[in-house]
Amino acid sequence: MDAVIKFTSQSQGRDRIFRATQYACALAIYLLRNHSERKDLVAKLKSLEAHMSAGRKLFRLGNTANSIEAAKRTMQLSDRVLSLCLTVANINRALYFFCDNVLWARSVGLIRNIDKERWSVNASRCYFFSLVMNLTRDIYVVLRLMLQKARDKRCRQKMDQHLSESPEVAEAVIPQLDAFIFLLLESLKSDPALALDTLKNICDLFIPLDKLGIYQSHGGVIGFCGLMSSLIGIVTLARPTLRIKP
Amino acid sequence: MDSWVRFNAQSQAKEKVIRAAQYACTLLGYTLHKGGAAAEVRKTVSQLEAHMSLTRKLLRLGNSVEALEAAKRSIHLSDSVLRLCLTISHLNRAMYFACDNVLWTGKTNLISKLDQHKWSERSFRYYLFSLILNLTRDVYELCLLMESEARYRTAKSSSSLHPSSTSPADQLSSPSSPASPAIVALPVMGAWLRRQLHLVVTVLYSNPPLLLDLLKNSCDIFIPMDRLGIYSTGPGVVGACGLISSVLSILTMVYPWLKLKP
Repeated sequence: MDAVIKFTSQSQGRDRIFRATQYACALAIYLLRNHSERKDLVAKLKSLEAHMSAGRKLFRLGNTANSIEAAKRTMQLSDRVLSLCLTVANINRALYFFCDNVLWARSVGLIRNIDKERWSVNASRCYFFSLVMNLTRDIYVVLRLMLQKARDKRCRQKMDQHLSESPEVAEAVIPQLDAFIFLLLESLKSDPALALDTLKNICDLFIPLDKLGIYQSHGGVIGFCGLMSSLIGIVTLARPTLRIKP
Repeated sequence: MDSWVRFNAQSQAKEKVIRAAQYACTLLGYTLHKGGAAAEVRKTVSQLEAHMSLTRKLLRLGNSVEALEAAKRSIHLSDSVLRLCLTISHLNRAMYFACDNVLWTGKTNLISKLDQHKWSERSFRYYLFSLILNLTRDVYELCLLMESEARYRTAKSSSSLHPSSTSPADQLSSPSSPASPAIVALPVMGAWLRRQLHLVVTVLYSNPPLLLDLLKNSCDIFIPMDRLGIYSTGPGVVGACGLISSVLSILTMVYPWLKLKP
């Protein structure tokens, strides 16, 4: 099992570049949709996007095992909330990859008698749940950090200074909200990995929200959010210090 | 550039697995064709093979850079024959990947009017040159090792405790009756061949990386030779050879000590 995991995790970098290209194409197609003179270019972009998507599906064939191993690891974390969030997220990701593999088999004709729509919806649902659990974990870590900062004397001094700096604004707006936002920004600034991960998960969330029909947005938003989250993914891979742990 | 090479190396493992699957499909397609299977099954297998081939081309998009970096490194080798063989082999590989990338843009319709046959021939030609050079390097290493093994054996036999143990050549070189040189030469050659063969087997047995690399390159060479029409063997042999060489290269990735260095 260990050897399988080492194997499959080695191609993450390439996959993120392809994902970025795929969503950049989606964004470009949306921006050029009304330009009739660029129909050729739009056709080429559509073809490129389809090929990237198909190639990535083949690429992801081994990732179920990867996610199950990650779930096994996160079950042993000491923090109960973190352990729960991450384990459920990893299990949902494993289910998403499984549905994705089935869809790949359907698209190459290995399996014929399956309901493509139903499996696609299931895949989006699993992906959505895993993103929600990841966001829950982010919120939990942020809240923990904020509590820590609220107890920290130096930070409290800074906050009092900030609140007293602009008294007219602080009185107009609820001072607790101002303090909350200040603490939130301070926590995110002190942990850039957490900020990046939160941003990535929020961007990613729009994709299944659109697919499941919960919050319909248009192709431009999907393309942009997908591109943002892929770029963040590339940055965290290139700079391991910016990657959230565990 | 260094960070790109490290990045690049990470996806080679998956690419090799997909290669193995692709050539397994080729072999399967051939056996199904021979076995008279349904046309639909054969179509599925050939579609799967085409899909894997195109995905592998996508995965190989940055590999020219990696091959050029490898060529830069091999210029600094001390042995001149190795230096020549490896550098030119890497340069040919870089050209092969460049042609392959152009072929990918043609197959995905990014460049519309591309002569795919011409570019495919070009890429296979570079691949063939690179394989020939790799085989030359393998044969050179084999000869070097055989030489040192032969020297080691003669040194061992000359310092042995039995002074009467002469080499078979000495025994044969003193014939009992005056026979013509031609009749004497044949058994001498036979013995020499047997000795050389024994040396080859010993050297290869004690050097698994060299054996694996030699086997891999020998299997691989059938693919471009078939595609260029130099020695047409058919999809069965191509599939089997491709599958064997992919499995061997996966082995060298899983067990890094099996990789031939440099």
